[in-house]
Amino acid sequence: MIGLEEVSYCYPQGGKEALLGVSLSVGPGECIFITGPSGAGKTTLCMAAAGILAHEYGGKKGGRVTINGKDAKEYPSLSDISGLVGMVFDDPEAQLIFTTVEEEILSALERRGLSPADIEERLASIMEITNLSALKDRAPHALSGGQKQRVVLATTLALGTDILILDEPTAELDEHGTESIVLVLKDLKAQGKTIILTEHKFSRFRDLADRLVVMEGGRIRASGPPDQIAGEESVRRIIVPDFSGIRDFSVPPPQKGSTPVISVKGLEHYYGEVPALRGVDLEISPGEFIAIVGENGSGKTTLIKHFIGLLRPTRGTVTVDGKNAATAQVSELAHTVGLVFQNPDHMFFANTVAEEIGFGIANLGILEPENVLEGVMEKTGLSHARDLYPRWLSRGERQRLAIACVLAMQPKVIVLDEPTTGLDGRESREIMEILKQLQRDGRAIIMVTHSRQIAEECTDRIITMEGGKIVSDISRRE
Amino acid sequence: MSEILQYIHKDGLFHRMHPGTKIFLILVIGIVTILTLDILLLCLILLAVLLLALAGKVLREVLQQMALILAMSVIFILITLITMPEGEVLGYLIPGGFLPVTTGALYAGILLTLRFAILIISFQVFVITTQPRDLVNTLEKAGVPIDYNLMFLIALRFIPTLQIEARRIHEAQLARGYAPGTGFIGRIRSVAPVMVPLVSNALSRATVLGLTIDMRGYRTRARTPLREERMNLLDRAVIVILAVILVAFLAGTILPFFGYSLVQA
Repeated sequence: MIGLEEVSYCYPQGGKEALLGVSLSVGPGECIFITGPSGAGKTTLCMAAAGILAHEYGGKKGGRVTINGKDAKEYPSLSDISGLVGMVFDDPEAQLIFTTVEEEILSALERRGLSPADIEERLASIMEITNLSALKDRAPHALSGGQKQRVVLATTLALGTDILILDEPTAELDEHGTESIVLVLKDLKAQGKTIILTEHKFSRFRDLADRLVVMEGGRIRASGPPDQIAGEESVRRIIVPDFSGIRDFSVPPPQKGSTPVISVKGLEHYYGEVPALRGVDLEISPGEFIAIVGENGSGKTTLIKHFIGLLRPTRGTVTVDGKNAATAQVSELAHTVGLVFQNPDHMFFANTVAEEIGFGIANLGILEPENVLEGVMEKTGLSHARDLYPRWLSRGERQRLAIACVLAMQPKVIVLDEPTTGLDGRESREIMEILKQLQRDGRAIIMVTHSRQIAEECTDRIITMEGGKIVSDISRRE
Repeated sequence: MSEILQYIHKDGLFHRMHPGTKIFLILVIGIVTILTLDILLLCLILLAVLLLALAGKVLREVLQQMALILAMSVIFILITLITMPEGEVLGYLIPGGFLPVTTGALYAGILLTLRFAILIISFQVFVITTQPRDLVNTLEKAGVPIDYNLMFLIALRFIPTLQIEARRIHEAQLARGYAPGTGFIGRIRSVAPVMVPLVSNALSRATVLGLTIDMRGYRTRARTPLREERMNLLDRAVIVILAVILVAFLAGTILPFFGYSLVQA
């Protein structure tokens, strides 16, 4: 169905080759799982296979891409290929154009020259496969990440192509959202669709993949049936994140009876009429490394926003370093608590990394700003990037910069919302190493995560939330 | 959070009306509003638009705009007081003979306010009672190029997404100890740390958005619409009545301008 012969590619901006002599042949009904570290060339490979590089991009191109036996360049335009290949990109937000779920899917169905009766029938069947019937009148901004990604997938299915290319369709999703995508893909595979998929989470897609392709530095490092190659050391290193040695019991446990830096009593929070937190009690001591886990909507993010005054308790109290977090200014609490949000791109506005970090230092009037800046850049491994533009950094570097920005304000507590989202195994490990070092310095680290593995292999205490309550609070030291 | 210019699903007068009829209605209202100099007529149109909003069950949403319209009114009248001191002097804004309040300036300020109020409200009623997809289909049929339709659609679609993102960015900056202050000065100061990430994130989506549009064939393939709305008798009747009103109005305003009069003196 799709063939790549010795494909090389270099983006017009220059730099290193994104693809280097990549050959890959995909047969009908096959499901190819492509993985590899960030920057390995996975997205570029998808765009080559979808004919996008041939038609929409400049740059240096080598080799040949065939789609259904015909050279991608010989199709008159990308629209002509769109009847054969459907592509799903990693950012669902940018692929939703209409204002309701049904309109979105219809918009694609209506461009295929089908009869109205046919359109109705396919609409119903696509809604069913992707489990969207109940959401048909929802607007895109009222959908969760997993739901958005399912709508994008449904709309791509509505194009009726036999080949589907999905570039990290679950990168931004939690366990539940990922599972819902896996289920849809299983159905599609059973229908005989040819699927090319790039992902980090190999274990979740293991049943689906007929062939595992491992990329690194623009080349294919290994390719074959998953059962054969997944065990090889060079492949394992890339597909299984390794957090060994991160947990460190040499750090003395917080002394019993020491004053907690955060203390939460009977906390309830309502969004209007809707309860989000229903009686949370929690004490956090200096030097603790805590994971908060739980499904979307269990109240994790709502809880941590109370630590810095972005949300105020409906009932109950939150005390942060002796201050009442119900009344204290956010800028005052920021001296004690540093909050790193999920998407680092929501905070960068300066022209250089140093300026970006300097923003918080100046806001809080931290002493010896130059020393603090240097120290923070060293701790987060960003000294080389001092004068670079924050948005041009890699995803892993941007996440480290987000931590650096917060760290520069010298908080006693660092709170992170999903700090490993969209990162590969090596980048995730780097983040954990930084956090571990900060714990050794005596800071309390609180991390919201949907990765059970990270919670269990890196932290000392796991708090599980469900329906706005803490349902378990387990110390790993005992 | 109130959503700006988003379709609201209800069963009101406008929700049942064909989008083509609605487009013609706001066009007629717009033309008359811009051409007339008669404040009484503008007041009547404003009243009519508000009554229509009530009949369309969207009066509450329309009234949420009143703060904006009042603020605009104050600014317009201040500007006209400073720039167009004509007519009788009614008093002074600053005691001692500074900034005279004149009838001419007041008239111009009120005229501008009424015009903008009518245009804003009628456009809002139209947008929040029309499914964007019907809107685009109607515009497409009327011969508006698909690129412009998509532009309009995408602009509407991303308003709430940008609102949500702006709030997240604002929170992220607050957490970095940012205290821009409140009120007008605070808003101005908060522009860079919030607007730069907001705009950069929006722009970074443009490539994927463009590729998506091409790969779905929106710009190249013909459409076979499902469940197409047709104009009913009422729609046609409304269009005829509106056309008569428009012609009569134009005859009454424009002909005298060229020295003709419909009524023999």
